[in-house]
Amino acid sequence: MGEVSRRDFLNSLGVTVGAAVAASAGAVGSVVGPSKAEAQVRGTIPDKPYKIGHMTFFTGAAAVLGEPSYKGHILAAEEINAQGGLLGKRKIETFKADEAAGTDANVKEMRRMKLSEGIDLFTGVISSGNTPALGPVAEELKLLTIFVDGCTDFLFDKAVPNPHYIFRITNMQSADGVIAAVATAMTWPKVSKIAHIHPDYSYGRNAFDHFKIAIEKLVPGTKVVYEGWPKLGTTDFTSHITNAIAAKPDLLASSVWGGDYIAMYKQGLRYDLFKKMKFTSMIAFGVAPHAIGKDHPEGVIGGIHSNYYWNYPPAGKWPLNDIFVKKYFDRWKEYPNFQSEGAYTTLYLLKQSIEKANKLIGGWPDDEAIITLLEGASIAGPAGYLHIRADIHQGYKDAVTGFSVNSPDYPFQILDPKRMITIPIRNITAPPGWPKGEPTSTYTWIEKTWPKVTKA
Amino acid sequence: MDTFLIHLLNSLLYASVLFLIAGGLSLIYGVMRIVNLAHGNLYAVGAYTTAWAVGRVLGGAPTLVLYALLPVGAVAAAALGAVLEPTLLRPLYKRAEEYQLLITFGLLLVLEDRIRVVWGPYPLAASALFEGPGSFAIGESIYPTYNLAVITVGGLAAAGLWAFVYKTKFGVILRATSQNMRMASALGVNVNRVYVQAFTLGCFMAGLGGAIIVPQQGAVLGMGVDALILAFVVVVIGGLGSLEGALLGALMVGVVREFGIAFFPEIELAVLYFMAAVVLLIRPAGLFGRT
Repeated sequence: MGEVSRRDFLNSLGVTVGAAVAASAGAVGSVVGPSKAEAQVRGTIPDKPYKIGHMTFFTGAAAVLGEPSYKGHILAAEEINAQGGLLGKRKIETFKADEAAGTDANVKEMRRMKLSEGIDLFTGVISSGNTPALGPVAEELKLLTIFVDGCTDFLFDKAVPNPHYIFRITNMQSADGVIAAVATAMTWPKVSKIAHIHPDYSYGRNAFDHFKIAIEKLVPGTKVVYEGWPKLGTTDFTSHITNAIAAKPDLLASSVWGGDYIAMYKQGLRYDLFKKMKFTSMIAFGVAPHAIGKDHPEGVIGGIHSNYYWNYPPAGKWPLNDIFVKKYFDRWKEYPNFQSEGAYTTLYLLKQSIEKANKLIGGWPDDEAIITLLEGASIAGPAGYLHIRADIHQGYKDAVTGFSVNSPDYPFQILDPKRMITIPIRNITAPPGWPKGEPTSTYTWIEKTWPKVTKA
Repeated sequence: MDTFLIHLLNSLLYASVLFLIAGGLSLIYGVMRIVNLAHGNLYAVGAYTTAWAVGRVLGGAPTLVLYALLPVGAVAAAALGAVLEPTLLRPLYKRAEEYQLLITFGLLLVLEDRIRVVWGPYPLAASALFEGPGSFAIGESIYPTYNLAVITVGGLAAAGLWAFVYKTKFGVILRATSQNMRMASALGVNVNRVYVQAFTLGCFMAGLGGAIIVPQQGAVLGMGVDALILAFVVVVIGGLGSLEGALLGALMVGVVREFGIAFFPEIELAVLYFMAAVVLLIRPAGLFGRT
């Protein structure tokens, strides 16, 4: 193998920086948001409500993500209902369920919603611990399901390798670790000693694995000098911070999120953590945006679960985002996060598929028709183009991350819209047909196919 | 050496808050024989109330005023305790213990929900108090000054509680009731009053734990249940009902967790439960438990 430069390899990944809106998906269907004139509806449509079960965290520490998910869902449902409902007739009726009840209870609740309430669609879900349990049950119940998150690679790698009824629209989890590593390699290519602090469950393990394999390719010779594995829900990080500092790393990588992360960065400030090392996060800015204070360190890589931040695509560049952010703010008096965008786009993806099916066959389409049109569907959402892979029913959109900055225009810290990093997701996840691997297919794909760069 | 000192201070910080929570839990059990499953949520009420109070007056208020607001959370938790004991728990004393577990578990769920309704789903912070005193140098490292205040409050609470229980008349009555409620009652002790006082004091301690740690950690949903589980680890080690046990248990958990994270970070979650399991095998009633 000859010389491989980091610059050339990053170019081959299609990495872009700044305010470009990268086009990624193929043909684009309709767009989110209320349409002006309702397309002609064929046949007679029953006017009974379309029942949707939306499961997310309403209690516990993860409610910082669950609340925005629910708000995004409700906003879209209200918009669709204001136009008369799906196909102008069927009003959306939402049944909510608290994901904090635990995996077993969540599975029971999904069954109950289908069998007792007769829901037509199941959506939501945040935890990667839950989708692999709920997915097979949805298949068994023949329940049309669009997961908003719960983005573990494991769901379509192993738990449901040939999905029929279930879909998922946020980017696959491995993208978090990979884009964090890419952003780190671009920004601080000289790092060599790396400390890690991740929550001790599937998400943290996944972020660690993928960051590690990607950074080893992009910045050969790095080594892990500390690993901390706090319990999810921990708000005391004094020990982890002390140990990370004592290991004298060049960089700290972390996938701690939500209220946990707020506590971690505030404690880190008092230990000068951010003055002593660079910092890369996979998901720090994924919480409701106003939760990140202005005291947060600037210029660090503040991940957003590789999905969406409300000020990107930047104002004026991508009208769908401007409109969405304004409507969300008007409705809820706060800014949306990636869960809000995901839950919102989910309903419009459903609406698009139902309308197309109606155009083809007339009347209210059955689930099989909706599924056929969801497979390979494409829609323009607030975050950009979203494509649903037909083989594994997984949503594909550009992966994004960015750098923290204070702006006089907002009372909280934001990501700098001028410095956002985007990568077409297809370039950092295992392609169709790649054999299933351990710990994930994307991991083995990177391990086997990415070159180790040999010069800058 | 510097790092070792910081580890030690971190351990004491953790132990201080744990002692306040577990000490209250143990005190209530010792006197009333009630395992209060909602205890962690009284800690959460303390944290949320202080964070809320600080948030309300922030903006121009002198820092001293903010510090004066710290105890608000403890007072709120105590007031809640003073209401809960006579209304919710007292009617159940004559029933089997399972009823008390059920009612305190129900209370746990209700409080968890009330906290969300009152303060919303997003974390509350009182970090101005944590930032105010800044940090001081330990060798090449720095350490947050506020942590020392937490450690001091934890230490003072332990000393104050000891003096209260062993050096005052009320302490004698408390211990007498704890050892034999019927006999104390026969000797003219107003047991109902002792119960409500003990319960209020236990809740005050939990609330104080929440109030002093919230500037450093913030208040998040679910913090009460997490605290409850840790408090149980402490009392399993120290012995349920024993204040000395709660103190020793909290110190052991603080130190073992700190050095566990330093030397065996991979098994951070397991290390505390492993310690509790060992104690259970050797001394099932805990180190200071009454057998």
